[in-house]
Amino acid sequence: KSPEFNASYSMGRLHIEHMGGERVFSCANCDCPLTNRQQLISTRFTGATGRAFLFNRVVNLDTSELQDRVMLTGRHMVRDVSCRKCKTKLGWVYEFATEESQQYKEGKIILERALINESEGFPDPVKD
Amino acid sequence: MENGSGCLNGSGAADSAEKAQQQQQCPAVQLSERNCEAVRVIGQYLRELGLARSAEALVLEAGCPLESGAAAQFRSSVLLGDWDGAEASLASLRRALWRESSWSEIAFRLAEQRYLELLESGAHIAALCVLRGKLTPLQFSPDRLHRLSGLIMCSGPEELRQLSGWSGAAGGTRQALLDSVEQFFPPSVMLPPKRLSVLLDQAVRAQVSRCRHHNTSLSPDQLTLLADHSCQAAASVPSVCSQVLDAHQDEVHVCQFSPNGRFLATGGRDCVAIVWLVEAAANPPGAPRVRHHLTLRIGEERGGVAWLAWSPDSRLLLACAAEEATEVIVWEAETGDCIKKLKHRDEDSLTTAAWLPDSNHFVVGGNRGHFYLCSVDVGFEKAWDFIRVVALATRREDDGGTAVLAADTFARIRRYRFDTMQDETLFREDGPVMSMSISQDETLLAVCVASAGVHLWDLRLRVCRRRLHGLTHGAYLLHASIGGPNQDFVASGSHDARVCVWHRGCQAGDGAQQHLLPDKLSGHGGLVSCVSWNPRHHGMLASASDDCTVRIWLPASLAAAALAASADGTGPGGAGFSSNGCCSSTVSKHQPPPLL
Repeated sequence: KSPEFNASYSMGRLHIEHMGGERVFSCANCDCPLTNRQQLISTRFTGATGRAFLFNRVVNLDTSELQDRVMLTGRHMVRDVSCRKCKTKLGWVYEFATEESQQYKEGKIILERALINESEGFPDPVKD
Repeated sequence: MENGSGCLNGSGAADSAEKAQQQQQCPAVQLSERNCEAVRVIGQYLRELGLARSAEALVLEAGCPLESGAAAQFRSSVLLGDWDGAEASLASLRRALWRESSWSEIAFRLAEQRYLELLESGAHIAALCVLRGKLTPLQFSPDRLHRLSGLIMCSGPEELRQLSGWSGAAGGTRQALLDSVEQFFPPSVMLPPKRLSVLLDQAVRAQVSRCRHHNTSLSPDQLTLLADHSCQAAASVPSVCSQVLDAHQDEVHVCQFSPNGRFLATGGRDCVAIVWLVEAAANPPGAPRVRHHLTLRIGEERGGVAWLAWSPDSRLLLACAAEEATEVIVWEAETGDCIKKLKHRDEDSLTTAAWLPDSNHFVVGGNRGHFYLCSVDVGFEKAWDFIRVVALATRREDDGGTAVLAADTFARIRRYRFDTMQDETLFREDGPVMSMSISQDETLLAVCVASAGVHLWDLRLRVCRRRLHGLTHGAYLLHASIGGPNQDFVASGSHDARVCVWHRGCQAGDGAQQHLLPDKLSGHGGLVSCVSWNPRHHGMLASASDDCTVRIWLPASLAAAALAASADGTGPGGAGFSSNGCCSSTVSKHQPPPLL
């Protein structure tokens, strides 16, 4: 219980967002909500644990430093992403693609299928 | 009130020669245009106060007539009731009008006043002559003419006054007539009414709008003219930490003063809610201190206290848990008795709550989509499905019912009526909402938006009034609080371990309200998550931090008084001084925590 300012403490209550949606994807380790089916762009990706999904927008992620990676599809600048709550590594986000055909991925997030859960959500009842 | 002053230029034949001589003998001070205007305005002010001779002397010495000769004649004629003379003066002023078309209106008003005065004094024949000979030929406003002619049937002056809304010859109507006529003439001919008063009022209001810590209930006309107005920060804005409360064993995430200002509740990761008593020391009066009252436990596995809500009568305290938040607990604050443990379903997540005005019903919710209306008597009452609730507040509505304001995960703030099951979207935020706090008079809503600051929404006008910037953003939840006698102060936590305090009414020197930066209070050793203003002791602020302490902040003048009291040994609790001048006190005694 040190009064000195120490950034390594787990401080405060994390602000956890929730994107809603009828099919919700969450972190398999801690059930922190991440994204939903409406944000899913493609299922045909591969990560370290096997199948991976490409999503448009995902919340509650921490990103790592920028990394230069050569993948099957070419050279990319990516950041690893991890669950904000439990710090488990979940996938990566594309920041820059060297090849023009791959630029559609920029800003999008890859989450590995084995590390996330899909569960039932509900539609937003508000119509306006 | 009738202003009895007569004509200002050339009062009597005997005097005028003498005065003309005086004027020639006095070295005429050469006044610039602006100075001449100032003299005229001052002269008008003196005359309005009834200091006619001073006004006259001023005009004589300065050589700036207050108004043109014809205008002065007109004024004195009206005030004396010399209607023919007034008409003659008016005719000679006709050229000076802004617009020729307004002449008929002025003539009408003059004749109208004459007509009404004649009716009041009972001279019906003469009044009829005025109606026929003066009012009708002008052909101005047939409606008014019709109404005026109807008034001739009045049986007496009382009824006349009542029916027409005219307050009588002695009721200041002559002066009112003059005031209304002044607008038709340029200022060189006639001054606008009460010009100096208007200018002084504008100046004071401008000073008030620049007052950085404005915190007084005095109206602008009660403020002194002798010095520029600026509220003393020392008296109103908290700046000194007067107490450090260190009874918690882990991060403190919530702090809330009760609506009556007598209690403070704090809670955090150590799964304990502590109730503190606020005592205003009698000697010297107004220096509030806080001391420990009760420690209330929630289960250890619950992840900590996520939210604390006081019932409007300040009797009950409700706590929501952070994880495994399936249950909310209600205690009686004075005794610590657990009144209710409310659970609806095992999969619920209820992390935020707000009470309804009857201090029996409350709403709870969480971002997994649970949103319930419950009561202390009955328990669970109603659910509103499929709303992912982030923050709650309640507000009384005009029809007597209560609206629940809920911020949801789609950054909407919506209004829900559980009695009529009506809902409506009030505002859409442009970023994710972290928390929400309503002012005590239920007119303002402070919304903490992630990475954007605190947005103040006006609940009656339904607009965003201010966007407050300057707090340090980050990944953790922050709470804001609106306080002060006029809901003028907003405080919030910040990621840089400082408390931010804004005065929302102040316009920054460059006129750009958006860039008003907060005062920042340093002292905490970790992220400050939550702040709360004391609704009774304005200027008293509590802040909860990850350094496991709660700090009490007071305005410098109050804090000095508190320190003086403790130094005498008359204040409650012991007080020690740290080298930077902050007073820290160890909590006097811990009561054994009652186990639930």
